[in-house]
Amino acid sequence: MSVGPVERDEATAEFFDGTAAGQFLLRQCAEGHFSEPAAAACTTCGRTELAFIPAAGGATLVSWAVSYGRPAGDEPPARTVLVIGELDEGPWWWAQLEGWEPGADGAADGGLAVGQRLRVGFRRAAGEYEAVPVFVLA
Amino acid sequence: MTELGRVYGVTPARFAADAVRLAVADAGLRLTDVDGLLTSSGMSGGISIDLQRDLGLTDLRLLSHLQAYGSTAGAMVQFASLAVQSGMASVVACVFADSPLQPERGAGAAYGTRRAPAGWWGLLGASGIIGANPMYALAARRHMERYGTTSEQLGHIAVAQRAWAAANPAAQLREPITLADHQASRWIVEPFHLLDCCLVSNGGIAVIVTSAERAAALAQPPVHVLGWAQCHLGHYLRRDPEFGLVTGAASAGHAALAMAGVSLTEVDVAELYDCYTFTVLVSLEDYGFCAKGEGGQFAASGVLRPGGKLAVNTGGGQLSGYYMWGMTPLSEAVIQARGQGGGRQADAHDIVLVSGNGGVLDHHSTLVLGSPATA
Repeated sequence: MSVGPVERDEATAEFFDGTAAGQFLLRQCAEGHFSEPAAAACTTCGRTELAFIPAAGGATLVSWAVSYGRPAGDEPPARTVLVIGELDEGPWWWAQLEGWEPGADGAADGGLAVGQRLRVGFRRAAGEYEAVPVFVLA
Repeated sequence: MTELGRVYGVTPARFAADAVRLAVADAGLRLTDVDGLLTSSGMSGGISIDLQRDLGLTDLRLLSHLQAYGSTAGAMVQFASLAVQSGMASVVACVFADSPLQPERGAGAAYGTRRAPAGWWGLLGASGIIGANPMYALAARRHMERYGTTSEQLGHIAVAQRAWAAANPAAQLREPITLADHQASRWIVEPFHLLDCCLVSNGGIAVIVTSAERAAALAQPPVHVLGWAQCHLGHYLRRDPEFGLVTGAASAGHAALAMAGVSLTEVDVAELYDCYTFTVLVSLEDYGFCAKGEGGQFAASGVLRPGGKLAVNTGGGQLSGYYMWGMTPLSEAVIQARGQGGGRQADAHDIVLVSGNGGVLDHHSTLVLGSPATA
């Protein structure tokens, strides 16, 4: 499974400049608190002056799910592993997980565990689209 | 309530107007008695305060459109009650309607939003997080990892609610299912099978809120609004240590019961918002019907089945009955409190707890309703 197409808008322009350069940009206030990229104010103290700071790229697994495409004919449905990762700086991010395949009966076959180490990577849909963050097993 | 389910060719606004007319007639009132109107809409939108004009209502003393997702229906009854208590309005109609289903399109198409191409929402979609299914699946998995909750335990909720639905003429799915059927149903987003997920329905439902004095003289047994509360957590898609583990039902349930002056053990019937089986499980825990983390064992014990210890989602809920957002649990609660549940009527039905849940366990409303005997 690959990421889908996405284009920038005014709110996401700086973030996508970051993903294009291989950086996951978080928001940081003058107190040093980190907030998620879309935050309009610091989620800890409410300050509205926020800088974009690249995350180090490490994360841990918070939760996971396996999305199944609509069955079509005899082909097995396409599966996408979706996770919530907690970046080492604190904020959570919802994205695809690469590098791990669920078993035939699905994720219950095991292999993933809460707290497992992840790293942020970037993938781009074919065409003139923005680079999208994904998680990969560290 | 209007006809519900795969009813095509009716706009949301028409469903809403019909639902208000039906509720007014059911109460033994006339449209000219209505002096307050609260409207709400679902996926397909199409409803606004213009409903006043559609209904030909004049000189309203309260009119507003509300949107708090699945908690809206409960919230409408709360605001309507406040308006009646204050004397701002005397007869308030609260309505929800939706018609997302189209002929020859799957239910998934109705709620699987097209990939937004730009911005933060576009990025979420491009990441594969499309619609509510993956978001709730991630919440449920967290609960499973923390507490050992299993898919089979979730299945017991689906099986119990289908058994209740068998006696509800308005339910869309009434054929009994087994735990094996649940386990064999296709994955939607693991850990959710198809039978963990709610229906999609077209239709409209309205309720009328008025004073207890006025209600006593009307056509139906009055249902009393004894207590209420809301809780909006504010962590949507953000870091939240309790995501998937605790919802707004924990604080709102406590507050609503305190306002009603009743204890949880006095609750006879619980109508719980059930967009997924998991939502029922976590709500049962948050209200305190079982300890935190024990919702799975509680459901698997058979307590939720017809004839079980606790009457929960007695009309089949959103899983098997009909999906009218918060109006699903609210409408069944009114039916039960009135004692009009027919073959599915709970023997004890004096205190009925109603939950509303919206967003991804982000928005919550609780109502505590009382039968005519509680006046």
